[in-house]
Amino acid sequence: MKKFILSLACMALPMAASAEDFSANSEAKTWNLFAEQPARFEAKVVDILCELSGDCPDNCGDGKRQLGLLRAADGVLVYPNKNSQPAFTGAALELAPYCQADVEVDGLMIEDPDLGAQNVYLIQKIRNVGDAEWVKANTWTKKWAAAHPEAKGKGPWFRRDPRVKAKIEKNGYLGLGLETDEAFIADWFSE
Amino acid sequence: MKRLLLSATLALAPVAGHAAEGERVQVKGEIIDTWCYYSGVMGGPEAVVGSAHHTCALWCSAGGIPVGLLGEDGEIYMVLKIEGDDGSASGDTQLKLASHEIEADGILYKRDGLNYLVVEEVVADLGITNLNHEDFGPVPGFAIPKPKK
Repeated sequence: MKKFILSLACMALPMAASAEDFSANSEAKTWNLFAEQPARFEAKVVDILCELSGDCPDNCGDGKRQLGLLRAADGVLVYPNKNSQPAFTGAALELAPYCQADVEVDGLMIEDPDLGAQNVYLIQKIRNVGDAEWVKANTWTKKWAAAHPEAKGKGPWFRRDPRVKAKIEKNGYLGLGLETDEAFIADWFSE
Repeated sequence: MKRLLLSATLALAPVAGHAAEGERVQVKGEIIDTWCYYSGVMGGPEAVVGSAHHTCALWCSAGGIPVGLLGEDGEIYMVLKIEGDDGSASGDTQLKLASHEIEADGILYKRDGLNYLVVEEVVADLGITNLNHEDFGPVPGFAIPKPKK
């Protein structure tokens, strides 16, 4: 009986320590980040606010809420902060089509105790469990373009985004007002 | 012995995904973009906050990267809702508060090493108070376009 109890207690340990290695079979591409580790695993896509507080709208909030990955192997809630585009873009819109689905993901886990980063994830590709084909997690900018036809033009999305432009036009790049901005820019770019 | 077995079994239960018990807290700190902070992709933690990083904070918030509240205690609180606005991916309220120092009253949830915060009230919005642009310049460097001559 003692042995049985010990076994149960040992089963609990990986959940607390998050020590399992999920890098096996990962094909994630490096971003050369200090604390990155390749990580491929199966999980359920969940609305994080719903998961934590019980505040649960239909369809995980239809893309306006942050979504998490409830890892199948150990029940850990992984937080995808980033999609695979180097363009200041998050992961929620990549995960939204998979609300409540069981998926497999591949990407980079960020674990940096000095900064408090634990179970923070950059998702590079996703597929429903059992599917053969991966879907790249790089659709944010296309979805943004479809939602903002009025902002069509040259340059990256973040230079054309109406809300961002309005903020900068009102408060400057530093957010401290246009006078402060003007003085700083004149000094910063002076030869 | 049965009781001991039950206790050991219950110890496994919290991973099952049930709504957790929240704790009311008051947190004062800066609304930051979490990816730049956690990943170090643009430099150390002192450089990816404040006025130096304000434009990037706008980009990341609008781009759906989670925002966090960097508390005076050094902890990051991942913000899930602000005063009824649950747009935690690219929402208007969090965009309005990018780089601002705020005093928040809300409910804290802790899960798997991260702090999650539902802000019920922004008690005070102090604006941008970390004026670190003189130390670091714009972060990233291209955040402010070079003026055309």
